[in-house]
Amino acid sequence: MLFVSLRDLQWRLRRFVIGVLATGLVFALALLISGVSGSFQNEVSRAVDAFHADRWFVAVRAFGPFTSSTLIPASAATAVRHEPGVSAADPVAILRFTVRVPAVKDINVIGVVPHGVGAPVVRDGRTLAGAGEVVADRSVGLPLGATLDLGGTKLRIVGRTSGVSYYGGTPVAFISLADAQQLMLGGQPLATAIVVRGTPTAAPAGLRVLTNAAVAADLQRPLKKATQTIDFLRVLLWIIAAGIIGSVLYLQALERTRDFAVFKATGVSSSTLLVGIALQALVLAGLAAVAALVLAWLLTPTMAMNIEISRSSYVALPIVAIVVGLVSSVFGLRRAVTVDPALAFGGA
Amino acid sequence: MADFQPADLAVRDLVIEYSSGGYKVRPIDQFNLDASAGHLVLLLGASGCGKTTLLSVLAAILRPNSGSVRIGDTEVTELRGAALTEYRRHSVGIVFQAFNLVPSLSAVENVMVPLRSTRATRRGAKERAVSLLERVDLGHRLSHRPSDMSGGQQQRVAIARALAHDPAVILADEPTAHLDYIQVEGVLKLVRDLADDGRLVVVATHDERLIPLADGVVNLTPRADTSPREPEVVRLEAGQQLFAQGEPGDLVYTVDEGEIEIVRARADGSEERVTVVPTGSYFGELAPMFGLRRSAAARAVGPAVVTGYGLRDFRERFDLAEPKVLAQSGD
Repeated sequence: MLFVSLRDLQWRLRRFVIGVLATGLVFALALLISGVSGSFQNEVSRAVDAFHADRWFVAVRAFGPFTSSTLIPASAATAVRHEPGVSAADPVAILRFTVRVPAVKDINVIGVVPHGVGAPVVRDGRTLAGAGEVVADRSVGLPLGATLDLGGTKLRIVGRTSGVSYYGGTPVAFISLADAQQLMLGGQPLATAIVVRGTPTAAPAGLRVLTNAAVAADLQRPLKKATQTIDFLRVLLWIIAAGIIGSVLYLQALERTRDFAVFKATGVSSSTLLVGIALQALVLAGLAAVAALVLAWLLTPTMAMNIEISRSSYVALPIVAIVVGLVSSVFGLRRAVTVDPALAFGGA
Repeated sequence: MADFQPADLAVRDLVIEYSSGGYKVRPIDQFNLDASAGHLVLLLGASGCGKTTLLSVLAAILRPNSGSVRIGDTEVTELRGAALTEYRRHSVGIVFQAFNLVPSLSAVENVMVPLRSTRATRRGAKERAVSLLERVDLGHRLSHRPSDMSGGQQQRVAIARALAHDPAVILADEPTAHLDYIQVEGVLKLVRDLADDGRLVVVATHDERLIPLADGVVNLTPRADTSPREPEVVRLEAGQQLFAQGEPGDLVYTVDEGEIEIVRARADGSEERVTVVPTGSYFGELAPMFGLRRSAAARAVGPAVVTGYGLRDFRERFDLAEPKVLAQSGD
């Protein structure tokens, strides 16, 4: 009896295709915003990992190295190095700057000790060797050898990282700690954190130690509301998709009332009708999921924000599509079950 | 797909009542019928007389208020659940008014539907459907959809579908309603052939051209008695009923003394007073004129005297002319 359902879809092909495309677009939007949310989470991990540190020391009152700008003496690194379990430690200054490249762009500027802990691993070019150089993320949009003007100080791009950003795609530029102190800290020998290799068991006076996980959690905090909003929107999009599939199927069920009555009058069981409608929902949702994958693949490069759709999102899509399809077919199913077979005896 | 077992039909004291527009309607009241296998029985009557309703009961789609319907050894009114589905699948085949084919399916697929609803394989169902369509001379239209077929061809597909499970009883609702006279001929021959095969064929129709084809006719429209008859004077006590709602009616009444109230039974059991007929007025003319059952009851408000007239007398008395025939097709 499944052929009846498939034939019906063929019979109403135009509406079915519109339903697939509309639902596919909604599914694609859900995928894309889950990619935005995924990007927020992934960039935090990449930003923290870019320092290749095991622990972070910040001022006692600071919540974290990225979200707080509480300054500490750069010389505190010396005291940290003497803590048990510490194999290496260097000061870093994590700050923000606005540049023209040529459009106005916010970047996260990180002052590190060249070749020290926190120095970047580059994707192309070379790492920082000293003052007057910058390693910028590719998302800054400048090529190797170009000049980055930070408040009148011109720094040459000697290397580039890839995917190192935070605060919703704001790219990172690594400069020498000395340049950072000169540019933004009035030339004072200050830092915002000490990055450490090893596992210290205690902290010097005035400092507290953070794990990478704690630093990442702190860095994600400002984006928490954005992430929650995205998750809420994603649920809304699933509901909209269910609404589209549901309305398509319910409309079809209304139009097929006489057919259902004839089927019932000729001994077709209600369960057979239910399976047929559920199959239509699954076909519609399944094809919409395929359309969503194609649309998401096409649209991702056009987005201004970084979109990182996780493998789990791809795996979840067909499952969600099946659930959405079945849930949305409830009204159509109900219609089919409640049709009175006596309607088959009605005239034209 | 076993050959059918011939089955007789016996209907006893059948009462069917339903609500329509808030009023209680009883199109079938204490109805009895016997029909044998191999016969073609016409349920003849005007619209609304209950022929499709009766057909629905025979198909076990509508449950009667009381009475029994026995087809072969099966008491149809007692069927429930799986037995009901099994009866609809195997014991009766239905040819619906307006064909009621599924527009998205081809002719062969339409016939396959009832077959595939059981455990018939796709190949087996298709072979059976093709053979049935060939039997109704549609072997060349197997893959055509209903919209690509004439009314007569659609009706033949509907007949093939009704025969899918080789039922002993075929029920056809207005099989000629949407056909022109050329198409009617083929369909009538087919319907007659079904009965000649030993099936019981019950056809609900208002088309009296089918009468010569039938072995038996059940006239569900009350026939008006237009023969000359003496006026009947009836004396009524206060509250006494003259006639009941749903009764056939031959007479038109004039109120000679007193008043008569016309009341209609609602579905919820209450009554609605339609009107009160004063002395000198008449009532009850529609049932005999149009062959309808009484749509309301009549009873005396107080002591009353009424006179009942036959339809012809009534027309003469009230100077109501018979309609003129303006043209006759074929003249």
